[in-house]
Amino acid sequence: MRSHRRRKQTWTAKMAEEQQESSQGEVEGVNCLAYDEAIIAQQDRIQQEIANSNPLVSDRQELTVLQREYAEEDSVYQLKIKDLHKKYSYIRKTRPDGNCFYRAFGFAHLESLLDDSKELQRFKAVAAKSKLDLVNEGFTEFTIEDFHNTFMDLIELCEKQPSLQELLNSFNDQNVSDYVVVYLRLLTSGYLQREHVFFQHFIEGGRSVKEFCQQEVEPMSKESDHIHIIALAQALNVSILVEYMDRGEGGTVNHHVFPEGGDPRIFLLYRPGHYDILYK
Amino acid sequence: MENKYNLKSPAVKRLMKEAAELREPTEHYHAQPLEENLFEWHFSVRGPPDSDFDGGVYHGRIVLPPEYPMKPPSIILLTPNGRFEVGKKICLSISGHHPETWQPSWSIRTALIAIIGFMPTKGEGAIGSLDYTPEERKALAKKSQDFFCESCSCCMRSALLALTPNSNPSAEDHKAKELAQQINFKAESSLSRQSSESSGAASEPSTHTLGDSSTASGQEDADRPQAEQAEPPSVSRAEQPPAAPTERPLSPRQRRAQRRGEQPPREPAANRAAFVPANRQHQDESHAGSAALILVLTLALAVLIFRRIYLAQEYKFDYDF
Repeated sequence: MRSHRRRKQTWTAKMAEEQQESSQGEVEGVNCLAYDEAIIAQQDRIQQEIANSNPLVSDRQELTVLQREYAEEDSVYQLKIKDLHKKYSYIRKTRPDGNCFYRAFGFAHLESLLDDSKELQRFKAVAAKSKLDLVNEGFTEFTIEDFHNTFMDLIELCEKQPSLQELLNSFNDQNVSDYVVVYLRLLTSGYLQREHVFFQHFIEGGRSVKEFCQQEVEPMSKESDHIHIIALAQALNVSILVEYMDRGEGGTVNHHVFPEGGDPRIFLLYRPGHYDILYK
Repeated sequence: MENKYNLKSPAVKRLMKEAAELREPTEHYHAQPLEENLFEWHFSVRGPPDSDFDGGVYHGRIVLPPEYPMKPPSIILLTPNGRFEVGKKICLSISGHHPETWQPSWSIRTALIAIIGFMPTKGEGAIGSLDYTPEERKALAKKSQDFFCESCSCCMRSALLALTPNSNPSAEDHKAKELAQQINFKAESSLSRQSSESSGAASEPSTHTLGDSSTASGQEDADRPQAEQAEPPSVSRAEQPPAAPTERPLSPRQRRAQRRGEQPPREPAANRAAFVPANRQHQDESHAGSAALILVLTLALAVLIFRRIYLAQEYKFDYDF
């Protein structure tokens, strides 16, 4: 899990550099004590830029768009994209805001339910019951019920066989979309805490599972790692396949199914620091 | 109040619910929105037992951002208490040891319990924190009962339910302490407050925590525990509150320090050492200090970028071989 985290850093370091370069000019005139404000304002601006150029969930695009994202002579990535083409034809991108795993999962799964009413009914029952499980674990009912209601509303929307565009619109409404992300984070946190004896072995830095959930799972914008994906996949009993594409040698994309041995319904593409949705 | 607000707004929906939930005062806390503004609340909290604040009841304001509960509330104490400066925002820390951020499933009640739990902790010179002597705090606790708030016309003597022999303060107290350990509060600096006031109310939301919804900070937080291990503990300690700003400029180096594990450790030691005094210098909060810091960081950044290019080329060369 540690090496997995390191891979993310290429991307974050790049971002930090950009941020620093632009902050130097502006920050100079500000008193040290106002730095906090300046940093926050800066971050807000960067956030806004990301938001302006990336919808929360994009339209489905040909997988060939990936080729153009990397230089032609970038043989490591170009080879891997070719490898990806053998299995997938389309990609749907999500906004890189730290919530991308939850948003990608949420959208991909609900989209798949549009033409699978059996799974839809099973999923609806699991989702409906999940609030009670969280309350029994000590989550405050009145604070989590708005998130749960929004999540259920979307599942019920899927029952009515809406157009794909309708579902996409809901996921691009910041209020709705973020509430779904919050609820998926809560489900992840709830499952990790329920199975804390098992998950404790995978947590670094001497933290308890509860602390980990409060620091790395429940706050918005905290990125997801293997442990989050396993927990959410198991909490909802939905199998997820993640294709890992990074700078590693080999020319092929490795994948991992969560939980192991499952029959995946959802396909995600991981590139350092980010998840998008893949389609066959 | 119901007609005034858009009931479809998630914040309004949630705050209405919280107002109903907190309507009746408990023995330890009470909070309600002002009549004319659902986004501003007044609260009263009882000072924790077994502390210098025992017997005190403290009053304050809570300001909710329009994005609530996705963004955290700001808390301002109005009663002199000897722990927090009066009239200054206490925000979730952006520079604490534990990079805690607000959780949407927390509520105003969570914030109140956290405040209670946080009172007996040490201010440790953080901006906006006060380290009054126990005697002064005890005197203020006694005096706090006489406080009367004109805007919500409530008197501290009758703001909360009276403690009874049956009440179990230790359970509440335990919960409060636990929360205080999770959450890191920090008072907003006076200067930044002035600047935010002068730039108008529009800048108010920006006083909330850094961790909120920004990707970069989210990632940084996630990375931080590792990065801190790579540093001498005294430095990260010294960086505490006033050095919060250095957090951002430092991060590229921290990331490189982390990545050094993968790459040959070729960074000259002198380069690294140069950063430490720069940090300390920054603590002087002098303008010259920050200018020097920026200069050093720019140079260091240039060195690191060149090094990276160099390494990348060398890598390719090896590869072609």
